[in-house]
Amino acid sequence: MEIERIILHIDMNAFFASVEQQSNPALRGKPIAVIGAAKRTIVTTCSYEARAFGVKTGMNSWEARQKCPELIFVVGNNRKYTYTSKQIINIMRDYTPLVEVSSIDEAFLDVTGCLSLFGSAQRIALLIKERIRKQLGLTCSVGIAPNKLLAKLASDMQKPDGLTVIETGKVRQVMERVPIQDLCGIGAKMQQHLAKFGIKTCGELGRFPVDILRRNFGVTGEKLHYMGLGMDHSPVIPDEEAEEVKSVGHSTTLESDIAERREILVYLLQLSEMVGRRARKYKVAGRTITLTVRYADFTTFSRQESRSSHTNNSEEIYQASVKILESLELTQAIRLLGVKISNLRHHNEQLPLFPAERKKALLACAMDDVNDKFGDFAVTFGSLLGKETGSKVISPAWRPEGVRNVDVD
Amino acid sequence: MQRIAERVKVAAIFAPGCKVKPVWFEWRRQKHAVVQLSYFWQDCLGNVTRLHFAVSDGSNLFELMFDTSNQNWTLEGIEE
Repeated sequence: MEIERIILHIDMNAFFASVEQQSNPALRGKPIAVIGAAKRTIVTTCSYEARAFGVKTGMNSWEARQKCPELIFVVGNNRKYTYTSKQIINIMRDYTPLVEVSSIDEAFLDVTGCLSLFGSAQRIALLIKERIRKQLGLTCSVGIAPNKLLAKLASDMQKPDGLTVIETGKVRQVMERVPIQDLCGIGAKMQQHLAKFGIKTCGELGRFPVDILRRNFGVTGEKLHYMGLGMDHSPVIPDEEAEEVKSVGHSTTLESDIAERREILVYLLQLSEMVGRRARKYKVAGRTITLTVRYADFTTFSRQESRSSHTNNSEEIYQASVKILESLELTQAIRLLGVKISNLRHHNEQLPLFPAERKKALLACAMDDVNDKFGDFAVTFGSLLGKETGSKVISPAWRPEGVRNVDVD
Repeated sequence: MQRIAERVKVAAIFAPGCKVKPVWFEWRRQKHAVVQLSYFWQDCLGNVTRLHFAVSDGSNLFELMFDTSNQNWTLEGIEE
C-alpha cells in the first residue's frame, strides 16, 4: 500500500518588499515597490499595501506610479534577499531533509517521515512560520496537502500569513470549484485551449474524457486530467538529488537599446566571462554555445552552434558567440542579450594537452584565483574595465547552492 | 538610500553565541546611538565575509558594514 505523503508548500509573502519593510521601519504599512537599479526598470515585487492599488509585478515604474501616486520605489538589494532566503531554507531543513527550493521565495517540504518527531504537519508549519517571523520579521503562507500540486494551490488560498490544509478526503470537494488557472502549470494559453472544450474549473477538467485531452494535448492531456483530479505523484527532490544542470547561461537587459557592433561585443564578452567563470567554478564545460537576442520590440530568438570540443574558457565562448552574431542580420536595435553553454560535460577537470590550450586554461585559472579572492571582475578583460559588470537580477532558477547559485549584485 | 561609503568608528558588542551588535557610531564628528537594529545580512566580496546592519538612531536609517578581513566598519549609506 502506498504511504500517503504530506507535503508543505511555503511561499514567502511579497518577499523582497517585506525584507525592505523590515530593514526600514519607516516603510512598514506603506505601499512600496522594489525595482532594479537600472534605468529602465520594472517592479520586481511590491508590498500588499501597493497591491491594494493595483500595482503588480512586471509593471514599469511609470505604470505603477499611475496606479498608486504615493508609491515608494525602493532599489532592491539582491544580496540581502539571497542571504535571507538561505536563512529561511536553513530553518526548513531543521524539520526535514526533503526540501525542494523552487525559487528564492518558495519551497516544497516532504514531512511524511518527520511527523513522529514533531507531531503533525500543522505543528511543523506553525513552528517554521514562528521561527521565520521571530528571526527575520517576515511572514509566509503555507499549504499542506497530499501532493505538491495541491500544497501549492493551498498556499495560494490564504495570503498573507496563511495556513491552509487540503485533506485527502476533501480533495474532490475542494477541486470542484477551483478555476483551472489557479493550478500551477496552467497558463493563459492552456486556459484558452481548455475553455474551447467548456472547461473552466478543475472539477470540469477532472471529469472531461481523458481520451479527448490526450488526442488534443498528447502526453500533457493525461497530465491535465490528473491535475483536474488533484493528483500529482511528483516527488519532492532536494537540491543534492536534483538532476545535473543542462546548461549554464547569463542574459542581461541593456541599459538602452543598442545597434553598434562594438557595443554589442562588450556585452557579449561580459556575458561570456560570467558563463565561463561559473562553468569553471562548478567544473562543467559545454559543447554548444547559444546566443539569445531580444529586439527593441521584444521579438526574441536564439541561435546556437556546436563546437568539436567542450569548453568553459570565456574567450572561446565569446569567440563562438561572436561567430553566431556575425551570421545574423540584425534588423532592429537590441534590448537583451544572452549567452549560454549546453551539451554539458560534468566534472571537467582535465588540463588540456597542447601547450597553447594549456596556457589558456592556466591563465583562466589564475584569473579565477584572483577573482575568488577579491571578487568577480577584479581581474578581467581590458575592454570590460570601467563597465557595469555582474548579475543584477535573481533568476527564477536561482538556488541556494550549486551551479544554479549565481552571485548577484 | 544615499550612498556614503565612509569608514566610521563604531562601538559594538561581541557576545558569545550572539551576532555582533553595533551600539553607537561616530560619523562626521557626531556620535549616533543605535536605538534599533532593524535588519542584518551578510555577503561575500571574493573570499571576504561582510556583515551588514540596518540601524536607526531614532531619526535616520543607516547601513553599517563590518569587513571581517580587516575589521573595519564602513557607513555604507543613509536614508534621511
